[in-house]
Amino acid sequence: MANRVLVAIKGEVKTFWRNKSTIFWTVAFPVLLILLFGAIFSGGGTGRVDIHVQDLSDTPASQAFIVSLVDTGSVNIINVSKGTDIDQYIKDNSPYAVLIIPANFSEAFPGPGQSPTQLQLRTDPTNSGSSIAYSIVAGVASQYNLYFAGGTNWITVGMSDITQTGFSYIDFFIPGVIALTSMTTTIFWMVSVMTRYRTNGIFKKLTTTPITRYEWLTAQILWQLVVVFMSVAVIMLVGILVFDMHLTLTPLAILVIIMSSALFSSMGMIIARFIHDEETASTAANAITFPMMFLSGIFFNLAFMPEWLQAIAKVLPLYYVGEALRNTMVYDNQVAAVNNALVVLVLAVVFFVAGVLLSKWKDE
Amino acid sequence: MAVTVIEVRNLVKKYGSFAAVDGISFEVMKGEVFSLLGPNGAGKTTTVEIMECLRTLTSGEVRILGMDVNKETLKIKGRIGVLPQDFNAFDFLTVKENIEYFGGMFNKSLPADDLIRAVDLGEKRDVWFKKLSGGLKQRVGVAISMVNDPDIIFLDEPTTGLDPKARRDVWAVIQELKAKGKTVILTTHYMEEAEVLSDRVGIIDHGRFLALGTPHDIIEQFGTGSRCIISNCDDACAQSLKQQWPGIERKGGDIVIKLENKGSLPEIIYTLDRSGGNYEQIQVTRPTLEDVFLRLTGKKLHEEEAPPPTEKKGLFGRKKKEKGVA
Repeated sequence: MANRVLVAIKGEVKTFWRNKSTIFWTVAFPVLLILLFGAIFSGGGTGRVDIHVQDLSDTPASQAFIVSLVDTGSVNIINVSKGTDIDQYIKDNSPYAVLIIPANFSEAFPGPGQSPTQLQLRTDPTNSGSSIAYSIVAGVASQYNLYFAGGTNWITVGMSDITQTGFSYIDFFIPGVIALTSMTTTIFWMVSVMTRYRTNGIFKKLTTTPITRYEWLTAQILWQLVVVFMSVAVIMLVGILVFDMHLTLTPLAILVIIMSSALFSSMGMIIARFIHDEETASTAANAITFPMMFLSGIFFNLAFMPEWLQAIAKVLPLYYVGEALRNTMVYDNQVAAVNNALVVLVLAVVFFVAGVLLSKWKDE
Repeated sequence: MAVTVIEVRNLVKKYGSFAAVDGISFEVMKGEVFSLLGPNGAGKTTTVEIMECLRTLTSGEVRILGMDVNKETLKIKGRIGVLPQDFNAFDFLTVKENIEYFGGMFNKSLPADDLIRAVDLGEKRDVWFKKLSGGLKQRVGVAISMVNDPDIIFLDEPTTGLDPKARRDVWAVIQELKAKGKTVILTTHYMEEAEVLSDRVGIIDHGRFLALGTPHDIIEQFGTGSRCIISNCDDACAQSLKQQWPGIERKGGDIVIKLENKGSLPEIIYTLDRSGGNYEQIQVTRPTLEDVFLRLTGKKLHEEEAPPPTEKKGLFGRKKKEKGVA
């Protein structure tokens, strides 16, 4: 029996490497997904606001103030030369925050014969960066005032991330992509291989040999595990190399991936059992996987969705796979991970038994 | 001593109330090439697929190598070789890899290279299956059906859809099997194929045997006897022939005379000679299984009949008609 399973796997391995489109779906597709979503949500923007500064004072005092702004780490300073007509500059460059440091700025510094001065901040209120620019400029001005008044910072604010070691969107996203890949790879493989072999007569030929459907299905599921872990390896590699992610594959995560692959392979078996035509069956697989992809919290945190959608998510198997992986890989919440993994286990067993019982080779 | 390797008794297979196989019985001896001959939908494939343990029977008894098809499915499968109808193998595996793949499904298998030589596919050994022509694919199928060194080989319409050259190549392979003393069960709707290849033939229609025996016996029993055809006969010839054989047919310029006994032919030639008329040629035809079939069923053997509409279960178990029956 083990020999037949191995022979069947070997056949699929060779077919896999010789068929370019399957390699695309296992390797290139998840990588494209990560690169795309990673770029949209985490890379790219610096998160700083651009402040255009015209320094009419141009003294050591005004330059020190600009340095203080830069030191907040939250602004990019774009210098506008002293002689520029600022209204024309605004028309030409459409900035959303322009700071004008008045010529008498250094007179505001404490000393004999000094008087207060006023910074001019001109902002575009339709741009969300403008209020951030105001907070930063006002904050720095307050620090200067406090210093001049000889005051002390009685209240300070300490800030840190909720996740433990500075996780980013990509760390949230990658367990989701792993869950998603374990679903799409296995469902589509099962549906396509079963409908194709049935249509082109390979099943019939196999039925004339001593291999049983249990052996054949075992071979397919084992082979799919290999494919899924190949995808996982590629996903992790891209995550580490391109996005500097902080995840590790915990033993529980590996178990969840195995169970998820078995679960969705079986789901594919069931689809192929009822829909014999290859194209119709793959449409059906799409109809099942597509909503799951978007409703199971793979791309976005479910908390952003309306409550009724969240309720739907909680009946979808993929939701539990994603949650289990995220809890063990990102949040290190092993209790929640185990609970979700148990749901995946039960679903996997139910679907596998149903899949094997329903699939039949013999025409009764 | 002849050993019975296949016994079929009162085999019935029903789909609902439709009997695809309606009570047939026969035996096949070791080393025989036995053909089931009949039009599409006659019940040939159903019969062999029951023997191959691919379908279950409704009633009756089928024993393969002494084993009951209902009980010893896996054992039987280990000792038979099957080329199913519309055979296909793995597109992205080579000829050799495909043979080894199916060999791996059995507990024992023959070396792939020996089988490749047996079906004369040496040059295509490392070519992907998908790149082979239909005839070569069938030869791969025959090679695979021999991979477990089976006692009985079932070939279900091995030449359907092949061009005449490819068909003859497959025949040569089957004759090789016969020479090696293998028992071969062949289904076909080509008369000539059955006549050339088989020791015995069962003509089947509507799930029943119409005739069973050697091609020669069947023709003797059900045929119409040999005929002599004199083509482009002029009136003088026709007149003298008519005096001698009042019952002759005249088809255009041709005259057809049934040969009742061996003495008829010299008599015809003598009569023609004496008449002083002209004719083009004399031809003697023996009836074929085709003629027998036409006589027994009133229809031609390989006129393409639409198979009975097969019902396919659609989504959620609803029944739907199969699309685009070719």
